[in-house]
Amino acid sequence: MKKTVKKFPLIAITAVTSFLITSCEKYLNEPSNKSLAIITNLEDLQALLDHTMMNSSPLAPEISADNYYLTDDGWESLELETDKNMYIWAENNVFQPGIELNDWTRIYQPVYYANTVLEHLLNIERSQSNNLKWQDIKGQALTFRATCFLDAAQIWCAAYDASTAETELGIPLRLQSDFNIPSNRATLQETYNQIIDDLKESIPLLPVNPVAKNRPSKPAAYGLLSRTYLWMRDYSNALRYADSCLMVTDELLDYNDLIPSTAFPIPRHNPEVIFERWTDLGQVLTSSRAKIPLSIYLSFDEEDLRREIFFQKESDDQITFKGSYLGFAGIVSGIVTDEIYLTKAECLARDSNINEAIQVLNTFLEKRWLKGSFTQVAATSSNEALAIILEERRKQLLFRGHRWMDIKRLNKEDANISLVRTLKDEIYTLPANSPRFALPLPDDLLGYLK
Amino acid sequence: MHPNYLNNLVFITMKSLWFILIFYASIIHVQAQNAIWGKVVRDSDNQPVIGATVRVLNSDILVSTNENGEFRLVFLSPKGELEISNIGYETMQLSVFGNTKALHVRLKESTTQMEEIVISTGYEALPRERSTGAFDHIDNETFNKQVSTDILSRLEAVSNSLTVDRGTNSNGRISIRGINTLRSDMMGPLIVIDNFPYDGAIENINPNDVENITILKDAAAASIWGARAANGVIVITTKKGSFNQPINVDFNSNIRVGKVPDLSYVQQMSSSDFIDVEQTLFSSNYYNSQINSANRSALSPVVELLIKRQEATPTEIEEIDQLINQLRMYDIRDEFSRHMYRGSVDQQYSLGLRGGSDRLAWTASAGLDNNTGNLDERFQRYNIRLNNTYKPFDKLILSSNIQYTHSKSINGRPAYGEIGRNNQYIYPYARFTDDDGNPQGLSIDVRESWAKSIGNSGVLDWMYYPSEDYKNVDRGAKLDDILLNLGVNYNPLPGLHLDLKYLFERQSNIVRGYFNDQSYVARNMINRFSQVGEDGNIVHIVPYGGILDRSNSVLQANNLRLQSNFYKSWAAHHFTAIAGWELRRSNTSSNWSRLYGYNNENLTFGHVDFTRTYPILNGVVSQFIDDNTGISDNTTNFLSYFANASYTFKEKYSISASGRRDASNLFGLRTNDQWNPFWSLGASWNLSEESFFTNRFVSYLKLRATYGSSGNINPSMVAATTIQYVGTNMFTQSPIAYINNFYDSGLRWEQTNMANFGLDFRLLNQRVSGSIDVFLKKSTDLFGTAVLDYTGGIGATKIKNVADMKGRGVDVGLKTQNIRRTEFSWFTNLNLSMVKDEVVEYHLSNLNGSNFISTSSLARISGVKGKPVYAIYSYRWAGLDPSTGEPRGYLNEEVSTNYSQLTGAGSQLKDLVYHGPANPTVYGSLGNSLAYKSLSLDFAFVYKFGHYFRRQSINYQQLFTNWVGHSDFENRWQHAGDEIITDVPAFVYPTAANKNNFYAGSEVLVERADHIRLQYLNLSYDFGKANRGKLPFDNLALFVNASNLGIVWRANKRGIDPDHYFGTNRTAPPAIYAFGVRANL
Repeated sequence: MKKTVKKFPLIAITAVTSFLITSCEKYLNEPSNKSLAIITNLEDLQALLDHTMMNSSPLAPEISADNYYLTDDGWESLELETDKNMYIWAENNVFQPGIELNDWTRIYQPVYYANTVLEHLLNIERSQSNNLKWQDIKGQALTFRATCFLDAAQIWCAAYDASTAETELGIPLRLQSDFNIPSNRATLQETYNQIIDDLKESIPLLPVNPVAKNRPSKPAAYGLLSRTYLWMRDYSNALRYADSCLMVTDELLDYNDLIPSTAFPIPRHNPEVIFERWTDLGQVLTSSRAKIPLSIYLSFDEEDLRREIFFQKESDDQITFKGSYLGFAGIVSGIVTDEIYLTKAECLARDSNINEAIQVLNTFLEKRWLKGSFTQVAATSSNEALAIILEERRKQLLFRGHRWMDIKRLNKEDANISLVRTLKDEIYTLPANSPRFALPLPDDLLGYLK
Repeated sequence: MHPNYLNNLVFITMKSLWFILIFYASIIHVQAQNAIWGKVVRDSDNQPVIGATVRVLNSDILVSTNENGEFRLVFLSPKGELEISNIGYETMQLSVFGNTKALHVRLKESTTQMEEIVISTGYEALPRERSTGAFDHIDNETFNKQVSTDILSRLEAVSNSLTVDRGTNSNGRISIRGINTLRSDMMGPLIVIDNFPYDGAIENINPNDVENITILKDAAAASIWGARAANGVIVITTKKGSFNQPINVDFNSNIRVGKVPDLSYVQQMSSSDFIDVEQTLFSSNYYNSQINSANRSALSPVVELLIKRQEATPTEIEEIDQLINQLRMYDIRDEFSRHMYRGSVDQQYSLGLRGGSDRLAWTASAGLDNNTGNLDERFQRYNIRLNNTYKPFDKLILSSNIQYTHSKSINGRPAYGEIGRNNQYIYPYARFTDDDGNPQGLSIDVRESWAKSIGNSGVLDWMYYPSEDYKNVDRGAKLDDILLNLGVNYNPLPGLHLDLKYLFERQSNIVRGYFNDQSYVARNMINRFSQVGEDGNIVHIVPYGGILDRSNSVLQANNLRLQSNFYKSWAAHHFTAIAGWELRRSNTSSNWSRLYGYNNENLTFGHVDFTRTYPILNGVVSQFIDDNTGISDNTTNFLSYFANASYTFKEKYSISASGRRDASNLFGLRTNDQWNPFWSLGASWNLSEESFFTNRFVSYLKLRATYGSSGNINPSMVAATTIQYVGTNMFTQSPIAYINNFYDSGLRWEQTNMANFGLDFRLLNQRVSGSIDVFLKKSTDLFGTAVLDYTGGIGATKIKNVADMKGRGVDVGLKTQNIRRTEFSWFTNLNLSMVKDEVVEYHLSNLNGSNFISTSSLARISGVKGKPVYAIYSYRWAGLDPSTGEPRGYLNEEVSTNYSQLTGAGSQLKDLVYHGPANPTVYGSLGNSLAYKSLSLDFAFVYKFGHYFRRQSINYQQLFTNWVGHSDFENRWQHAGDEIITDVPAFVYPTAANKNNFYAGSEVLVERADHIRLQYLNLSYDFGKANRGKLPFDNLALFVNASNLGIVWRANKRGIDPDHYFGTNRTAPPAIYAFGVRANL
């Protein structure tokens, strides 16, 4: 008896050991952080695409454009030299080094996500039950990638010209998630081809009505295609896809329903918004710094509701902008029906289809004027119609991230728009068609990009 | 001597002859059975003396006792002299005869200072004499010469090779033998209590429970700990009872009193200068964008007065100017001294009992700490511990240890630098009370004049009241920790022990922060989200009331170890080996949440919609209300096999080897790269035991050499692409996730290989003893930040196994007994370490100078090939411009003020000035113990040499935007010619961030950090010694102790203490005086 007692510890130790050694495998595969997960299903991919970062849009086009000006004090009190430089169209050091969230990162981070999603989709079995969702996710990822590339082309490339696009520099087209692949700049033609291919591929995959406006949809892809062709000055295609877009949704916000006295009268995700991409205003465009030129303010008629809805007269008589499509201060650069209306009108006018062009414009403008006070616009020549339409485009799409590209592409049509900034006693000019309309790349990337 | 062999061996020396003779004799002996069996015990308590050396004089015969204190000896001569010796005991000689069969030897414990040092690695205990590795041992007496609530703060002044790095880490980080990694979160040593790494907060442990501390320095010592041992291991051994011991009571109590911190150490800009700057900025229209800003950001009282002054009448102007001049008189440091700071009082009580019968050994202890800090912050800790060892029969030992800690802390008042915008920034003339002592409010986020104008009734008071606000905040934490150890040790065969050890720990930490409805935090939150309704009334989105933050985190650790120990001693051979298997699991789960509109009286709270944004009252953005709610669950699993063996021959030659394989779930989700082997080899030679060694000055000399590897890992590294869910998209109402780890197939463990050569010695009749160790190490596959082309979309950097580094150094430990008379003694203890680390391989793709310059006083990891991990670089300085006082540097050898180039692409790494490392290359301590009769005095200096730090100075950008000044402003350039006497740039508006960064990173602000500090002074009087027998105590000592006594020498001429220098707001810790009693009965 006593002998067994003495042997008991030995037996016990042996038993426990053999039991424990067998359970090792499970033990080593336990995740170290429970909230970590590997990508296994469509929900994971959708969750990545629903990240707010996917919908963030760049600031550089608006900072570089002429919708506002800075006072000497406002410019001097800017903390970042890069912001100061961007305002005066400097030739280098206009983007914060990469650790900060500069526009390059803002654009290429969603591209990485889109590529990751596209690659992981291939590992997920398609079945009868998940096919729609699978397609939707693929369409979303393609649209996100295209819209990011389009933004990059607006900032860092010259305006598209079919005659030079084969030789002009485009942007790096990253189509795989592997970050070790070196970045090479494609030609401008390849850049636009890629954008068009992605968008065209996405159209049949996307739903007509998205779950929410932060997700790409069929009309969003049509709208983006229309914008792309407009920027390429391929007006017939721009018209075609503007039409396709408006065929799905042509709703306009009636500004008569808005309360102009509120801080930001235009609500977020309103019926006009098809696909939202946005950014906050940053240091430069914040209303305490960015002031609206009086000429812009005065271009709005007293009875044009936009005068009250878009602008705030400050105590010091300076004018600030409050016409954000976000319901708070910011810039919405996604697809909104007002842009598509204006694109359609422009393309029609360029096609000498004066009546229809003016009709589209009137449908649009009626919702912007005080009820009953709007008098229909009329034009006798296509040039006159075009001038009116472009004037209205300038007025409607303030702080919507369009103006920079509009200047570039219109200069290609001999609009001869030069920009001027005055600071203290110094005058900075950006002559029409200057190569500086393509912004310099972030300085810290110069070693990488070929 | 056997005559038959003698003739054949005439040519052999006598030594060899003896050896061969014994060899043959032992064969003969098998037939003759002429052996002596003996047992050596301690005279005082009959405990076996393990590892005692038994030597036959005038021969090479030598054996040592086994774990039961027994030895067997084959003895040929009819008569001989035996010498029995062991460290810590008086050597004994006795005569034996051929017919002696059994001996019972009682060794007396030695009264001289040399005690047997048993080193504990956490896996085994081994006598230092027989080890090959580099250890440092801190005994109980040395450990208790300092007084503190915690354990680790005492090590810096008494241990070898250890330093506390305060140049790269604001809290101070223990480093042993320098740096082995490029990741600051992977630099700490592994801390082991008794047998297992301690997962809980080390502050839980009562220092009065500590018996001794061993520091494992080299590979042979530490590699048994495998994947976590690269930075060294600190093994804390707690007090245990022993068998057959009468009850022993220890009582220890002390009170520590700290002075009020001296705020004059803060280099604050004077109020008058600050106001001058504000007036200049105001007249340059600097504040216009703020005055008109939609954020309504707060303006300082002077700016508000200047605004009023613009439209004031001449008499009002005079009044305003007077008010402004009055503000010049105030200094916020006086306000802090008066309202916030006080002396600190810490009390400590500890009672310990020990005893043992022949079957049971036990310890029971209880401790209480009650601390009140300089800011009235409170800390209370209660410790209870019960440790039992039970021997139901001779071959089985059961042990248990239960330890419970409860501690409670309450946050105190705001410290200097914790009041103002972002709880940091405030103008220097701020006052906490007015002349009548009434609380004075400060506008820190919004302009009060604007706040009062909103809506019909105005929003809630938007002022911050420094002298009152802390009374409205109740923040604190409660921690409960229970630690349970169980052990079974079974001895089935002689020399073989099977050991099972289990540890369970559960630590729960509850943190609670209650900001009542009067607190600024609550009022600010309610106001920010207030909306003005159409009727002009204020609508509160965040409900009126207090804010309650709660968090709860639970740590659970389970450790299990199965180990077999083998010990065999025969003739002149000792062999020990251990082998085992181990499983460690540590899980931390936490959750945190917030209630708005909370009322502590009746526990009511309000409801808030977290799913939508609201426009901010003092701004133009819309924001979500912070829900401050979350949950997390992290697990670290380790699985290891280990083995260790050592062999000693004739007490002269030892070799050791160890091996270990670790696997963990940390690289998770993929099984590759989980297992990694670590190993070590060591040898030692006890030179003084050789008979040819006859130097009479040297009584002991041992040479050691080891080589081996150990590892290091970062729990946050994961090999696979992983995503993390971070909430819900407010429009789709579906979960959103981001990618938090990008697949990297090359991820591996970091590995450090170290070679160590050591020498232990005792000279001049023990008057001088010590050790010298030289080590070389190389760390490979280190995690480093690789700079990436961020077109890849994963950011500009990624952490990969990209770097290698090497290090070398010397550790010297020297103890001298300068005077050792009966009445008076003076002992000195010197620790000296020299260590250099150097990056060997690190591909930096971006060599812009600014990447290597930290413009704060906290050094940054530079990772430059051939330079230390933390290297201090600076921009070359070309002096101030003689005509403008602007700082100047060099661009392509030309003097330049193009700051964007100077701090950008124009200053490459090669253009920078290299000063040296941020960590000391020579450091250590010098302790002295003087004793006269019952009175003893101990004091120790700590020194650090060979490193550099970056001094703070005026940053105009920070001054303009954040109210951060610096006293260097007084010495700024003001007139042509000043550039000869000063390097402080002129005050110019507008300023540029780059200009300020250039000055902050320039060479004129780098200083040598070398210094010597008097770490502590301890005076004690022992009543027991003189009055033994007359008092009911064995020992009764009263002591006075002083610490934080400050610097006795420093290289910088600016009065800066480099160990207490971060930002502009760091105060030096004030001196602390302790009074206490230690009794033993």
